[in-house]
Amino acid sequence: MNWLGRLFPKAPDLTPQQAGRLARWQALPSPRLDQPVSASRYVVVDVESSGLDTARDHLIAIGAVAVTHGRIQLDDSIEIVLQQTQASARDNILIHGIGGTIQREGTPPADALLTFLEYLGKDPLIAFHVAFDQSMINRALKTFLGIKFEHAWADLAHVAPALHPRIARHTRALDDWMGVFGIGNYARHNALADAMATAELFLALQPLLAFQGVTNFRDMRTLAQNWQRQSQPV
Amino acid sequence: MSEATNSLIQATADHLSQFAPFDQMESEHVLWLAQHATLAYFARGEAILSPEQNDPVAFFIIKQGVVQGEQVTGQMPDAPAWLELGEGECFPLGALLASRPVTSVYRAGSDVFCYIVAATDFLHLTKLSAAFHDFCTRRIANLLEHSQHLIQAGYSKASAEQQSMSSSLSAIIRREPVTCSPDDSIKRALQAMQDHGVGAMVAVENRLPMGILTLHDVLSRVVLAGADLDRPVIGVMSTNLATLPPHAPAHEAALAMAKQGIRHVLVTDKGCLVGVVSEKDLFNLQRVGLSRISNAIRHAATLELLKQCAQDIQQLARNMLAQGVAAEQLTQIITTLNDLLTTRIIELELAANPIEDIEFCWLALGSEGRFEQTLNTDQDNGIIFAPKAGQIPAALREVLLPFARRINDALDACGFPLCNGFVMASNPKWCLSLEEWQGTFDNWIYHGAPMDLLHSTIFFDFRPLYGASHLGEALRAWLQQAAPKNTRFLHQLAVNALRNRPPLGVVRDFVTSEGHTVDLKLNGITPFVDAARIFSLAVGGSQTNTLERLREIAVPLRIQKHDIDAYCDAFLFIQLLRLRLHHEQNEQGKPLTNRVDPDTLNTLDRRILKEVFRQARKLQTKLGLDYQV
Repeated sequence: MNWLGRLFPKAPDLTPQQAGRLARWQALPSPRLDQPVSASRYVVVDVESSGLDTARDHLIAIGAVAVTHGRIQLDDSIEIVLQQTQASARDNILIHGIGGTIQREGTPPADALLTFLEYLGKDPLIAFHVAFDQSMINRALKTFLGIKFEHAWADLAHVAPALHPRIARHTRALDDWMGVFGIGNYARHNALADAMATAELFLALQPLLAFQGVTNFRDMRTLAQNWQRQSQPV
Repeated sequence: MSEATNSLIQATADHLSQFAPFDQMESEHVLWLAQHATLAYFARGEAILSPEQNDPVAFFIIKQGVVQGEQVTGQMPDAPAWLELGEGECFPLGALLASRPVTSVYRAGSDVFCYIVAATDFLHLTKLSAAFHDFCTRRIANLLEHSQHLIQAGYSKASAEQQSMSSSLSAIIRREPVTCSPDDSIKRALQAMQDHGVGAMVAVENRLPMGILTLHDVLSRVVLAGADLDRPVIGVMSTNLATLPPHAPAHEAALAMAKQGIRHVLVTDKGCLVGVVSEKDLFNLQRVGLSRISNAIRHAATLELLKQCAQDIQQLARNMLAQGVAAEQLTQIITTLNDLLTTRIIELELAANPIEDIEFCWLALGSEGRFEQTLNTDQDNGIIFAPKAGQIPAALREVLLPFARRINDALDACGFPLCNGFVMASNPKWCLSLEEWQGTFDNWIYHGAPMDLLHSTIFFDFRPLYGASHLGEALRAWLQQAAPKNTRFLHQLAVNALRNRPPLGVVRDFVTSEGHTVDLKLNGITPFVDAARIFSLAVGGSQTNTLERLREIAVPLRIQKHDIDAYCDAFLFIQLLRLRLHHEQNEQGKPLTNRVDPDTLNTLDRRILKEVFRQARKLQTKLGLDYQV
């Protein structure tokens, strides 16, 4: 029964209120991805988790800040800590800095994730190393809200090197890129602070993107995907 | 979205709070500001704001990077960036407050992140936060106040107990005055002084002070004079009393003591005696007293003693700087003491080698003429004399020159180096009769050759220091008439003055030269001094002091009072920086210079210095407009 349960997890029980919130979010229209940056809202996101294993470790916190019309809207930002049944390992707490008590006092996961979705709307997501953030968020949404999260993402870890191929040879991590543009971080490994630093990186890449004629989300994603294909041939 | 503040808003507010004026604002208002800010990025070279922009102007705060302001009006075609702003600084306050477009292009000097706040939110914040409102409307004065606090805090470790020289006399009075009746016997009065342990006895009638007897006077007026101790005390008292109201600041008492060579000042309220302030009260923690120095100068019998006094003047200036005496009072006190020193040197010289029967006046020129001496000042002086009927000026000059030479040498020995340009009374060119001076000045005004213009910047600040002061006054009255008439001359002076630009940087904060320094005198003081002189000559003013000149021209030139105040504050700040610089160089035994490395200033002082240079630019712009340079 146990292994079966793991293979076919049953849909989570949502309260009618939660189901209503989810339905309203699902009903939102998706914006066109070819709108220019100057007329769009993007959400830059970063997550903290109990570890680096995307299959086993669980989501602890989401930080996100919006870039609207090419500017970071400080007030349009969010940081959510998900309530944990058990706090993550001690050595991991040292990294993300969210102590056991706060983890247990966080928002119940379903409500936390609904809050995140409501904040996000259907606007495109931007992250650095999308694969990790995407799988942590996808699994959490599947587990706690029972939905398959199909959303537009763009990965700055691929956009940045595509624009600066020469720097890219020795510049990989977010910290390296922040160094290139002299971007600070008020609290590294805090989800919102990392999201903010990523958003600043995104702004700093804008002039070169515009120079290459990339002025909307779709083209930026294409640029990133092309780079990924070139640099990591299958 | 954000019902509560999250870590991003908090971090933004914390960052802002490191800088003025946000560090003065209440934290909830800074949070409000952070909540209403967006963050934008500008690549190096990108224009952030320009006069052509149609969008309403927003409020910018630099999070990271350097922003440069460029003047676009056609007055100064090759002008480099006149303004450079760094982390934590904001712009464009003027345009926002006046709801007008900006007059300058603001350009990213490096990659820049700026917080941007909409104009409506900016205005709301000025209403919300008194500190912010204050900052926006009285920017310079505010920064200065802040810096003054820091300076005082820095020095007060050394003199924690000392009251500031700007505190009022009422705060310094420590006891009820010890008084007697004018009719009391000398003996009784002396006994009372002994019993109360005071250095001065004041005779009062219905609380009105009638005379004073100090311990110092007892020797000469009582003992040596062989006074009858049973006689009324009023007979041996000094009745020439120095009085000040209780709200007068301490430095005024210090100045009065220095000027009159006394040790006690009576504090009176509507004529009634409320206290006695002694030199000891003012300087009891100091080794060197102002009136002690001025007395020592007055009574010095040899040049050796005067040299010692000159060193004491430096020490006194140091102490007063440490107590936070403002630059204006401090330079005045230094000038007053230096005047006394010069006077005493002349008196000694005249006693040794009398000059018979020539009416002359020793003139102070340059910074001494302007009452703006700091610690390193070389001498600029001249002589004006009045030949009697039948006397030939050249013959009188022959008599006066050797005399002047000895004075110049004595001043040199006291630490006022001989003037490189030989602007000294011992130079035959600057030892002239009243008529000759007028002829010389007239020539300069008429021809306006480069050397003439240079000379006028030194000589037109003359004032009589010793001797027949009416000669100096007559020359001043003549100049007041002559200068305003020749607008071509004033125009030339303006052209000359505008060659010297405040060094606001293109790449860094400041355009530096010689070992990464700016010259506080040439770049900071001179623009104000020059502009004030030209305007003052134009309106036929009589003042020689730069601040007095600025105050004097306000009405005839219709300059707003708050602009004049800003110029004065800016000028005083530079003077203060200079005094501090000299003080530090003195402490380290280095030669005194006016060069300062901007990197050694704290952030606040660096900002004020920039603001000061900006004010200097503004004054220069007015000069340029008025004289169509």
